[in-house]
Amino acid sequence: MDRNYHVFSDGRIERNDDTVRLVTEDGEKKYLPVENAEALFLHGQIDYNTRLVSFLNDHGVAMHVFGWNDYYAGSIVPKRGQTSGQTLVEQVRAYDDPERRRDLAAKFVAGSIHNMQTNVQYYDNRGHDFGPIRDRLDACRSALDDAESVEEAMGVEATARRAYYSTFDEILPEEFVFGGRKYNPPNNEVNSLISFGNSLVYANVVSAIRATALDPAISYLHEPGERRYSLALDIADLFKPLLTDRVVFRLVNRNQLTTDSFESELNSCLLTDAGRKTFSKAFEETLERTVEHPRLDRKVSYQYLLRMEAYKLKKHLLTGEEYVPFERWW
Amino acid sequence: MTGVMMQYYEVCERELWFLSRDVEIDRANPAVVRGTHVDESAYDEKRRNFSIDGTIALDVLDSGQVVEVKPSSSLVEPAKLQLLYYLWYLDRVVGVEKSGVLAHPTERQRETVELTDENATRVEDAIRGVHAVVTSDSPPPAEEKPFCESCAYYDFCWSC
Repeated sequence: MDRNYHVFSDGRIERNDDTVRLVTEDGEKKYLPVENAEALFLHGQIDYNTRLVSFLNDHGVAMHVFGWNDYYAGSIVPKRGQTSGQTLVEQVRAYDDPERRRDLAAKFVAGSIHNMQTNVQYYDNRGHDFGPIRDRLDACRSALDDAESVEEAMGVEATARRAYYSTFDEILPEEFVFGGRKYNPPNNEVNSLISFGNSLVYANVVSAIRATALDPAISYLHEPGERRYSLALDIADLFKPLLTDRVVFRLVNRNQLTTDSFESELNSCLLTDAGRKTFSKAFEETLERTVEHPRLDRKVSYQYLLRMEAYKLKKHLLTGEEYVPFERWW
Repeated sequence: MTGVMMQYYEVCERELWFLSRDVEIDRANPAVVRGTHVDESAYDEKRRNFSIDGTIALDVLDSGQVVEVKPSSSLVEPAKLQLLYYLWYLDRVVGVEKSGVLAHPTERQRETVELTDENATRVEDAIRGVHAVVTSDSPPPAEEKPFCESCAYYDFCWSC
């Protein structure tokens, strides 16, 4: 699997012969190896032209743009190599069938709850008493079986995530007060980290979906059109505990990020440039981690798990074979 | 019906069903890269590509024989069926009688293939078989085969 490149400085990114060159505002030049790039993540103020876009298109490299407040602003993705009308038709069919849509929505929630459980269990074994939270998550998992609509499944998801997030104040050191999820804009350090991490998960899922002929706007748990790539929201939920939350815990508990890594203004709290670099470096290292896949009989990277999730969903839609959501198995 | 469908039918019906539904293959797969390279580089000067009725594309050597080039002889029967289908199509649809050559350039091996009555029956059975697979609503279930790991649909098929 190819890797992501993050650009934090302001400046210009351009095609230079057969490479991509970054020219920062102070005139420094850096070259990005396009051959083994999956995507570029632009965090700074960057100029680019159509010549660069065509060049990235030829190499199948996506560009994800992040704006002010770390908000995901959008993606420029390669023109599709292959399209499949059949896939889109099946995707819409499953959306339009209330029973199938509910089943898929419930699967995404079930997988998400499982992956939250894994994190809670990890810390439950390391000096915390999260028994009651684990019980509540178990109860959510059971309640899901009775959820008759997508809305109910969504409600269960919200309840589970609230219970799960209540463990964060105990897992993280005292000076990192969380007190529940707030965004637009994030009001404290922990929320700011979760927002940034989740937007990275989301952008990576956009790339993964693009590797299939799935339409990123047709989704099951989230309403289509809620955001442009609502299918990426469905799939990203499964991976937030594995990718975002573990990185947050690790960096904060090891003092690699401190309260000095953030800037507060008015009612928002955001990572500094240095903090963003630290986070995305650890995030990329996490994506590159591998795990033995029980069925493929080889090691796969966490990043490839995202791609496989898109494959699995597509396979279900085309063949009717059961979709089993990603649940951390190690 | 294309020649590749014939080949897939013999190799793996599930693969054929995926192909018929435009499931994209993993073009970075080493076996796919190798096959494309061998096909593009072998007998380059001595063969010409013909497209017939917009359905089948075959290669003809200077000698007038239809040639099918494969990187290895490990899946010889599927390749033979594909070639026989071309010969059958030329004979029964276009009205030209040809013989064929199955070539494995990397192994320096060639085999002559003729459309006998027995082979024609085999092609006709396979045509019916392909039709049954591609018109089915779902693919045959996944089944572990010795060559699964080199298949371009491997991850798609077995990611679960």
